[in-house]
Amino acid sequence: MVRLLTHNILACHAKDCNTNNFPLEFKDVQLEIREAEFNPEFLKGFLPKLEWKALVDTAIQLGDTSLPLEQPEMLDDEFLKNLHHVLLEIHVEEGSMTCPNCKHVYPISNGIPNMLLAEHEIG
Amino acid sequence: MPSRYLLHFAQAHDDFRLPELQSVAELYGITYSLPPREEDRDPTRPFMVIDLEDEEHARLLARRCILIKAVYEFYGQGSTYDELHEANRKSEPLWTRYVEDTSFRFLVTSSQHKIPQSRQRDVIESFAYMGFLGKIEMKNPDILLICFEEYEDRKGTTRAKYEGDGSFRQVFFGRLLEEGSARQLIGKFDVKKRVYYGNTSMESEISLLMANQTLASPGKLLYDPFMGTGSMAYPTTHFGALVFGSDIDGRQMRGKQKTPGVIRAATQYGTASRVIDLATFDVTHNPWRCGELFDAIVTDPPCKYGVRAGAKRLGRKKELTDHQKELCLQHSLSPRPQKTPLTLRYRDDQPYIPPTKPYELSHLAADLVLLARYLLKPGGRLVFFLPTVTEEYEDVDIYAMLCEGMDVIANSLQDFGSWGRRLVTIKKTTAEQHPPPSFKPPQVEDDQEVHVPAHKDFREKYFQGFKPKLEEEEP
Repeated sequence: MVRLLTHNILACHAKDCNTNNFPLEFKDVQLEIREAEFNPEFLKGFLPKLEWKALVDTAIQLGDTSLPLEQPEMLDDEFLKNLHHVLLEIHVEEGSMTCPNCKHVYPISNGIPNMLLAEHEIG
Repeated sequence: MPSRYLLHFAQAHDDFRLPELQSVAELYGITYSLPPREEDRDPTRPFMVIDLEDEEHARLLARRCILIKAVYEFYGQGSTYDELHEANRKSEPLWTRYVEDTSFRFLVTSSQHKIPQSRQRDVIESFAYMGFLGKIEMKNPDILLICFEEYEDRKGTTRAKYEGDGSFRQVFFGRLLEEGSARQLIGKFDVKKRVYYGNTSMESEISLLMANQTLASPGKLLYDPFMGTGSMAYPTTHFGALVFGSDIDGRQMRGKQKTPGVIRAATQYGTASRVIDLATFDVTHNPWRCGELFDAIVTDPPCKYGVRAGAKRLGRKKELTDHQKELCLQHSLSPRPQKTPLTLRYRDDQPYIPPTKPYELSHLAADLVLLARYLLKPGGRLVFFLPTVTEEYEDVDIYAMLCEGMDVIANSLQDFGSWGRRLVTIKKTTAEQHPPPSFKPPQVEDDQEVHVPAHKDFREKYFQGFKPKLEEEEP
């Protein structure tokens, strides 16, 4: 859990933290690889929602270099399989995510990130 | 050329039958038409004859609709057997291919009534003109012909054996096409057999009906913002969808073992890989980076059994003084480890737990619609339960919480007497992008007339036993 798909659609949401609040930075991670069903239609549909650079950088940080730096125009099978693996099969089980802007730390425990804000962080 | 099919509904949740039919038809791109006469479309009756383009469509309905017991090729109906036979003779082109050499079984049966054996025999013999030459097989016949008498619902009345026999409302005749196989899922998802559940877990039949309202299927991404023990995740992932869950209280999703309870239950159903992620956050302070992410939002807000667990959001009931605020800030920045048994028990969570305040139901419902308009893809659906006070409910309660671009497409009541809950399905009909909601309580001008829905302060009304407020007595 905390797959890179999730990581790519979460941003820091502390009060007044509106810029440079994405992507959250993984720290002290424990990874697990778990197989997931390959669904090319889902991947193609989700591509427009992804922040590509954030995804590639995060994958590299976690040790996966299979994705091209630029999002390709031709979506061949090999690319989709790599994308599938990065988005859905890499799980961050332990560690934390830190906001690049306000430095809020969101801890991850047993695969579940705690995204709750403290009292002074809500609007 | 469309053909007619006889649907036999399960004797449950009649208000959910047509919405489910509509949803499953939309999911598979099936066009159907309901009977032209109002009384034949009455969803409280156990049978309905609908037009479909293709036999395969009838089979798809039987395999996915939780409330369909069986689907038949329709041969005829009548308020008397004479009318039925007349209709059946006209349907001869449909059954003539079975005359020559097809083994068959003939069943005469009824809902809520027992037909005496002797009359069953008479009825079967009255079909002699069909001239079926094949073998009669009680076990594994090639075809099963059913003659079904529909009686008025006489539940709760005492009557003599066979009383009123023959005075049925309508009799239907057809050939069994397929028994509804989706109903077996009710047993498969039985909460009592689940490895992880809580006291607010939803019964399996209703959660399956909700899953059908979301149009769950492979490649769809769903979100439950009040995930709890994950009741909605299991049937939706079973139908192939991917599900994301969040909850303000992580303990509900986690349980007490290392592997989160929701994942353990999903593993039991073979769908753990489809639970995309679980996250602890308050949906009114959510971290979604952008909108238009999900095909459906499905949730059972924690207010129906408001009774057991009312909804919570971050914040405090009462504002603190500046000094208290400062102390709280210090505590949240450098929390002292607390050694009470309670925190040791939940040591997976952070030591600092922010305060929460109640989330009033009518605000929650209105916020949920706004949130769904932001987070759903165009055409996506919001499916959720809303508890209401039966006496006070008006349809305007539902319409008052809508916003532009969000339309109610189904509203089914599960009736518990003095209260009930409504399964509301709302479709995002706008393709425009809308901003995320502010989640601020609505500001009301003093002189403004505001509609107060019957689900407002539902929890309080429940505890008061739904008694009307007493007029103040004159001294």
